[in-house]
Order: sequence, then C-alpha cells, then structure tokens
Amino acid sequence: MNNNFAQLGRYFRFVVRRERISSLIWGVCIAGSAAMFAALYPGLLPGQPEIVQMGVMMSNPAMVAMMGNVYGADQLSQASLMAQECLIWYLITIAVMNIFLINRHTRVDEEQGRLEIIRALPVGKLTGSTAVIVFALGVNILIGVATAGLLSLVNIGGTTVAGAFAYGFAISAVGFVFAGLTLLAAQLFSAANAVSGFSLGLMVLFYIMRALGDVSGSVLSVISPLGLGLKVEAFYRDAVTPILILFAEGVLITVSALLIGMVRDHGTGVIPARKGRAHASRFLRSPLGFAGRVSQGTALGWGAALFLLGASYGSVCGNIDGFVAGNELMKKVIGADGTNAIIDNYVAMIFVVMSMVASVPVVLITLRMHGEEQRGRLEQIFARSVPREQLLGSFLLISLVTSVLAEFLLAIGLFLTAGGALPLGMLLKAGLSYLPAIWVMGGLAVLLVGWLPKLTVLVWAVFGYTFFVMYFGRVVDVPKWIMSLTPFGNVPQLPVQEFTVVPLVVLTLIALVLAVIGVQGFKARDIG
Amino acid sequence: MAIIDINNLVKKFGKFTALDGVNLSVDQGEVHAFLGPNGAGKSTTIRCLLGILRCTSGSAQMFGQDAWKNAVALHQRVAFVPGDVNLWDDFTGGEVIDLFLSFNGSRHNETRRKKYLQQFELDPTLKCRTYSKGNRQKVALVAAFASEAELFVLDEPSSGLDPLMEKVFQDAIREIKKDGKTVLLSSHILSEVEKLADSVSIIREGKITESGSMAAIAEKAQGRTLEDFFLAEYERK
Repeated sequence: MNNNFAQLGRYFRFVVRRERISSLIWGVCIAGSAAMFAALYPGLLPGQPEIVQMGVMMSNPAMVAMMGNVYGADQLSQASLMAQECLIWYLITIAVMNIFLINRHTRVDEEQGRLEIIRALPVGKLTGSTAVIVFALGVNILIGVATAGLLSLVNIGGTTVAGAFAYGFAISAVGFVFAGLTLLAAQLFSAANAVSGFSLGLMVLFYIMRALGDVSGSVLSVISPLGLGLKVEAFYRDAVTPILILFAEGVLITVSALLIGMVRDHGTGVIPARKGRAHASRFLRSPLGFAGRVSQGTALGWGAALFLLGASYGSVCGNIDGFVAGNELMKKVIGADGTNAIIDNYVAMIFVVMSMVASVPVVLITLRMHGEEQRGRLEQIFARSVPREQLLGSFLLISLVTSVLAEFLLAIGLFLTAGGALPLGMLLKAGLSYLPAIWVMGGLAVLLVGWLPKLTVLVWAVFGYTFFVMYFGRVVDVPKWIMSLTPFGNVPQLPVQEFTVVPLVVLTLIALVLAVIGVQGFKARDIG
Repeated sequence: MAIIDINNLVKKFGKFTALDGVNLSVDQGEVHAFLGPNGAGKSTTIRCLLGILRCTSGSAQMFGQDAWKNAVALHQRVAFVPGDVNLWDDFTGGEVIDLFLSFNGSRHNETRRKKYLQQFELDPTLKCRTYSKGNRQKVALVAAFASEAELFVLDEPSSGLDPLMEKVFQDAIREIKKDGKTVLLSSHILSEVEKLADSVSIIREGKITESGSMAAIAEKAQGRTLEDFFLAEYERK
C-alpha cells in the first residue's frame, strides 16, 4: 500500500523522544524570561508619569524601527508597554527555535544519511516531515499557553487574561509560520546549512520589512509575519485576526512543502547544489587563509549582530535624560550619581555590556582551532609541513582582527542611531579601551586549548561570572574587588571615568602571557 | 638506507599502554605493509611517526631525523592519507587538494594533479559535504599522489574504494615505487598487500609479532594461503 503517512504515530513519539529535553529548555526559557521581564516593569514604571514618559520615548522613530509602532497611546499601562518592548524579541526567539528544530529533523538528518535508514523501513514519504511539523505546532502552542499563564500570574498593572493570551499566541503563531518556512526551505536546498541560512536570512528580511513598514506606515509590516504578530496589540486591542491569519499562512506553507516533499528525490533539493571552485584561491593556500576561511562565518555573523546591538542601544539615546531622571532603579543600573551627564553614564554602562558580548566571537574563533581537532581534521594538516604555532597563530590573528572590528562596529552602530547626540571619536575611544579585556578572554581560551583541551568550556564559566558581576553587580552593589577579578572590571569606563593607560597595558600583558603559555602547551601536546 | 626507523616505541595514554615497544624499519624504495587487527596500534604508531603524538619512550625517526622535533621540516617529504578522511563541508574537493598541497610545501604541479583527478574520476568542483566516503578518500589520495613527497604514509587508504578505483590505487603505488619512493601501507585488504608489498610487519596489542620480507613470510606460511597465515597470526594468543 502506498501510504505517505505510514506509522505517523510511532514516528511522532520518536520525535518527542529526541526533542523532549531541548524543547522543554526552550519553553522554560521563553515563558520564564517573558514573565521575569514583565515582573521588572512595576519597578521600571512605578507610576503614570513614567508610563507616559516611556510612551513618548517609544514613539521616537529609532525605537519604532527597533520594536514596532506604539499602540493605544491613550491607555498605556505597565503591561501594554511591556508587550510593546518585549514581544518582538520573543517572536524572533521562537522563529530561531523553530528554524533549528525543523532543520534538525529534516535536512540535517537527510544530509547525515540518518533519514535514509528510516526511509528504508515501512515508513511513509511524508511521515517524518509531518510528524516534526505537528510536533512543532504542539510545542509552539504549549509555549504560548505557558507564557500567557505566567504573565497572568505575574499580573502587572494593566494585565488581562485576553491580553496575556494574545501575547502568548502571537508567539505560537509566528513560530509555526517559521516552522513551515523551514520545512519548505528543507525541500528547496540540499545542504543543511543552506536551509538554516536561508530561513534565518528570511527572518532578518522580515524584521527589516517590519521596521520599514512601521516607520513609514506601509503595508510591508503586515506582509512580514513578525510585523503581523505585533498587530495583536496585546493588552490593548487583543486582536484575534492576526493570529488566525498567521496560522493559516503556516498551514498553507506546510502543505506546499509536503507536496514538494512527495515528489522530490531523497537527498536532493529543488534548487540544485551549485558547483564550487576547482582550485583553491591563492589566499586559501596558507595557514592564515585557511584560518580566515573557516572563521569568516563567525566573524561576519557576529559583526552584523554587534552592529545591530550598537544601533539598538543608540536608538534610546535621544530620550534617555527624561526617562532616567525620575527613576531610581534605572539610575542605579546605569550608575548615575549626578556628577556626570546621564547620557555619559549610559554610554559607559552599555560599553561594558557590549564589549563583553563582543568577546564571544573572539573566544569562538580561538576555540575553533580545537573544534577542528575534535572533528579529526587537524591531523591531516599537521601531517603536512605546517608548524603548530603558525596555525594557532593564524587563528589568533583572525580573532585579534575580529576584536578590533567588533568594537568599531559597535561604536559606529551606536553613533548612527544616536542622532548626533554622541561624538564618534569619544565612542571609539570608549570601545577600543575594552580591547585588552577582550584579549584576556582570548588568551584564556588559548591557554585552555594548549593545556586543557577537554576543559575549554571553562572559558564560558569565566565569561558567565564576568557577565553576572558586571551586569547585575551594579544593582546589588558588589564590592569593588569582586569586579576587579574580571578583566572587564579593570577597564576605565569612558566617558565617565578618567582614561588611564596602566590597567590597559597590564591587561594586554596578561593576555600575551596567557597566549604564549597556551601556544607552548599546544606545541608540546598530542593532537587528536 | 632506512627511511623509517622506529625503535622500542612506547606510547601510553594515561594508564593505558597503546604501544608497548614497537620496532619498525622501512628501507628506501620499499612498500612495507603494516597489518594488524582493529585497535592493535597501527594508527597510533603512524601518528607517532608523524609527530602528531609524542612518544612516551623510545624513538621514531624518518630520514634519520626525530619525527617529533623535526616534524615540520620532515613533512615536506611526506604524504599522508588517513583512514577516516574528515573534510570541511563548505570546501570543494579541489580546494582541499590545493590546500593540502600548499601545506605540504610542494610546488604546484598541475599535470600530476590533473592526471590523478582524471584517473580517480573525482569532480573537484563539488563541496565536500556531498562526497561519499570513497570520494573523500580520493580527495586525500589525489592530494598525496600529486605531491612531490618521498615517503607515503597511508593508513587504510583504500577501504572505501570500488574495485576499479582499487586498481587505479594499486597502479599509482607501483608508479611511485618505480620512482624510488617509499610507502608505509596500513591495510586490511590482504589481496592488495599481496600484490603491492615487498615486506610486512604485523602488530598485535601494541607489539610487533611478525616482520620480514614477503618471501620470508611465504616460507613461514608453509603452503597455507597468505590469508590463512595472517588470520592465524591475528588470532594467536
């Protein structure tokens, strides 16, 4: 019998078995953090004056481009402002979750040859795709319900059950659309990274469409699923129509993906794989070229993300004074004590945070060297005439360049959206001061790669400690020495603090010593 | 002259002794087969010889020089093909071949590269992720044969090849042998060994249990087929 859905139930249980942990983690993180952020709002916006002030700030075009149009300006509440500031980020998060979830069970399995074994069993052509899309639908709905439930429980000012469910189901519906789009992409492309690349690219495109549409008031906003999701106007209109349209779109896309899946050959995509170069470019034929090639994705992807991060912090600058003035918690977070202009406190605070984020790609590229080792590729390189210190040094050079690029992109992103409130020279100086701290993180990664390759994860523990101390330390007043244990705690925080060169020189020396010791270890140890 | 000279090589991983006094010597122009069951220590020996692993005691030399200390300089004269060829998904086969050749320090020899691409019927414009196991092996083999190495260290190089390609591989080995090059060939394909090897070493549980010329081995086999002889060697307690 030719049943395209044979053993769907059994396959569905198989998907649940593989996904139960990671879906649970995603769900807890999304619903839990949504509730946690909501719980911060009564402190952030204690009274009507703050709420009105925040509404004014949100209407600034840079903020509209970031988070969407302000709705219900006459009836703003803690809950409705929370939704207007947070929902878009959850729509993006759920999109990312669905892209990886669907890709993992479709094209990744197909590319790895796992799906072939399944397809050789009495299982239908569409069983796998259908099971995973049904699973995704279920997870999205559960996450939406959990989010709605927790928001109702937290019950900040202006909360309604209808609003909480509008918020939650907007997340579910947008997630389902991206599940469908990824399933479609998995039919179109034969490479798993092309599937995730295309889907994530589409997500960025939708975000830009929404931003343009929201600023110009055009129809682009609702063509984008991310824009349409915001149109539920949670805690104001609580519209059902956008949710229904989104689910209908998801079903339509899913059905078309399944129709293609029914006729295409296993292992191929609708769009044939492109041929590549028959020869390596001159650039690639050196350890440095090789290190650059395998790191370029990380460097460029994070570069773009950091530029957007800078731009998003910059978009707030125009209204920061008025907003922080009457708010004790905000004053504490940005360290405003009245001696400096509030905007300077703000810049000093965000550069700590942004620079810590900027250290991530630097560490990732350094650890990539060990990633190559774990994938069993390094022995083929070192079986050739390549000195170990030269290859490791090449990766270090790439991460060094990435660190400088990262601070430049942060500063320029910030400058462009700050609307002339901040001079570029000052921003660059503030940003570049953090380079030595970033290098210490990189040096630590080299040390681990050289001496304790099995424990490279330790560098993330240090990162976590640093982030926690530097970010939350401001609110809970941790002692100074705890901050100075982290590299980032020793950098003069421009433009509030005086620029001093000594700590920067010391940090650079520490980074250098860590790296040199690491390289020595790497030269002396077994590979593989 | 001994191109490979391994003397009383011991390699320990923590408490586990992987190699327990390995001795191996390969002369110039010789094809030396390196046999043994899975996990006996063939790949570990080869990695020590390549200076990727550090000997716990004893010595491993190539061209009369220490394999660990002079690894980088020595590797200009060595071509290596691993049994498990792991490549970069986003690179094309052609890019990997050029990368390996340039890392070998070989002058770019387009004639040889082209010749072996043709003989192995490998399309260099495809991304590595689309290659089968056999095709990934061909990438490593083309990179090795197209190089100007004097010593070829091959760790189960033909395990994924079809019979036609197996023949191409054997012809390529004969050709480099004719040029006076030396080959260390770890293999499980006994018919291949029988056709190509001048001499053999067998390793079991980190020790060399048998070593000698193919003629000497044939004599020891006393009329048994080589396969039967090797099986008996592998199983011997």
